[in-house]
Amino acid sequence: MARLFERRLVPADSPAAIMATTSAAFLAAMLAAAFLFVSYDASPFQAYYALFHEPFATLRGFGYSLVRASPLALIALGTIVSWRSGFSYLGFEGCFVVGAAAAGWVALLTAQGAAIGPIPFILFLPLAILAAYLAGGAWAGIVGLVRARLGGNEVLISLMSNYVAIFILQYLVSGPLRAPGSLPESRLFPKGSWLPFILPGTRAHAGILIAIAAAGIVWVLLKKMPLGYEFIVTGFSPSAARYAGIDVGRRLLLASFFAGGLGGVAGLTEALGSQHRLMDGISGGVGFVGIVVALLARLNPLAVIPTALLYGGMSVGADAMQRRASIPSSITFILQSLAVLLVLAFDVLRYYKINFDFRRGTPSSTAPQVSE
Amino acid sequence: MNGPSFVLSAFVVTWLTASLRLAGPVLLAALGETFAEQSGVLNVGIEGTMLLGALASFLVSFYSGMIWASLIAAVLAGIAANLFLAWMYVTIRANQVVSGLVFNVFAVGVASTVYRKAMGDSALPESIAMFQPLHIPGLTRIPILGPVLFGQTILFYATLLLACIAYFILFKTNLGLALRASGENPAAAASAGISVARMRYLGTLISGAGAGMAGGYLVLAQVGLFRESIVSGQGFIALGIVIFGRWNPLKAAVAAMVFGACDALQLSLQIFGSHVPSQLLLALPYIVTILAISGLFGGKAVQPAALMVPYDRE
Repeated sequence: MARLFERRLVPADSPAAIMATTSAAFLAAMLAAAFLFVSYDASPFQAYYALFHEPFATLRGFGYSLVRASPLALIALGTIVSWRSGFSYLGFEGCFVVGAAAAGWVALLTAQGAAIGPIPFILFLPLAILAAYLAGGAWAGIVGLVRARLGGNEVLISLMSNYVAIFILQYLVSGPLRAPGSLPESRLFPKGSWLPFILPGTRAHAGILIAIAAAGIVWVLLKKMPLGYEFIVTGFSPSAARYAGIDVGRRLLLASFFAGGLGGVAGLTEALGSQHRLMDGISGGVGFVGIVVALLARLNPLAVIPTALLYGGMSVGADAMQRRASIPSSITFILQSLAVLLVLAFDVLRYYKINFDFRRGTPSSTAPQVSE
Repeated sequence: MNGPSFVLSAFVVTWLTASLRLAGPVLLAALGETFAEQSGVLNVGIEGTMLLGALASFLVSFYSGMIWASLIAAVLAGIAANLFLAWMYVTIRANQVVSGLVFNVFAVGVASTVYRKAMGDSALPESIAMFQPLHIPGLTRIPILGPVLFGQTILFYATLLLACIAYFILFKTNLGLALRASGENPAAAASAGISVARMRYLGTLISGAGAGMAGGYLVLAQVGLFRESIVSGQGFIALGIVIFGRWNPLKAAVAAMVFGACDALQLSLQIFGSHVPSQLLLALPYIVTILAISGLFGGKAVQPAALMVPYDRE
């Protein structure tokens, strides 16, 4: 019996098919959110205008979009390195926090009269990046080591390790690094350690440049270098990789270190570029949103920057929407997460093809028929 | 009673009472999650499900004032939310961890939007009727143990009973065997005539019911009002408890008490003015869980072999 929708044995994976299902998912999510806007007596068109105008068509708003996009993009890149290598790491919240703490610690050391003292920014930045990278890399690398040597489950261990990192930072800012005052936060970093602002009149800082450079590096690593190829083979099939002579455990460990380091640098951009001090709750879930950005970018390093900008911009637009149209910004959470859930759900469509000949009762020639 | 021993026994009583009080909701969520994980589904979405359960119970209690109806509403909300999750996990075969994480964000959006719609923008947090501690006559007078064990709300005792029932169902019935087989070796289970998809739907829906009820527990027995931050990671703690309890409801009950004790210890130490960093105590349960599942001690954790592996019949 021929059907209108025939099941394929393998999903259609042409770029067109992927684009089609992704856009369909986005449109469906935006349609659903439109109904929510209507329930607030707001025209969906005006609401969407408010949501996208501020972050992408005003200079100040665009600056904020860049600020939000930088850590998201770096965490998404870390996600790509680890997930492509078959290491389902979820601990970027923790990497972000330890990276921010390490960068902040170096920044505080360069204050007037502190251990290092003021040094030129050109010396300071590599030092801070190194500290943040090593901190984040070691944080994730421990989990990689556990997975590679002991076979522990990295999903659950990394989820739990996030809390440990958050408590470490909480301890630092309420104990050793606490500034005099009522709030648990560190002193303001010396001005010489702030990431430079790159767009006059906005808060946009050089973090986005770090993110763009990192996207290039990750792309080269995964597409052009033997090591990246070995990562991907390890991710696709550990047994095939082992058969090809790749030391799977060592690749996992390296991949977890690279990925965690990127998460650590994400923390650096937030601490040195945006907050300029360490505080409890500095991460605010960005470690999870970054994973979502990576998925929306289909684990493609070159698509990460635009996706992060879109996602970060939408959260800026959400605040504007709340101020102007008094639509709660929580609707944007619904819109964003619904879009991702539908992207995941609509993937199933790629398993089907439309059989235009179904009325004649003949199965189409290209797809084998599924037995009942 | 003289000074120091009075302070000590007061400390122990507040500490242990708080331990059990804090253990209740996370244990309930962990019991449900045990069913999902035994069937092969890692349901990370229980964090968001707890939030939706908390909201449902708050709204029903606020508008109707019926405390038991609010608890049932929480369970139903949890089941409804997890029907969607089960569809994602089992029918769509989407990545379980990702679907669950994104669902948690979705739940925050839904909960805060619905709460504001229902209560108005500027509404101050409204408190509602709550379950009161039972104070079983006579038994509460036993020194130390009395107030600790017999001064809890009825939900706590119900949760302990559910832990025993969950153990019985999972390990002593055919249904439990079929469920565990679906998580251990789905292909073998299917060839033995078990519908793996049905078992996984069942596991996910039970975890929805448990998490929803846990949300209701938080509102109706602990907080008395709804806040977006009411769950704040307790769903993830429940995941840790499941692992720490080695996918066994009775051991999960013990694990939940350990988590609760660490959490309560830092609260009590703060009240009694101690200088131990509270964060160390707060982090302790997570560190212990990490060590427990790392495989460092006694070989690998005995997780269901097909956990997180979607099953495709074809």
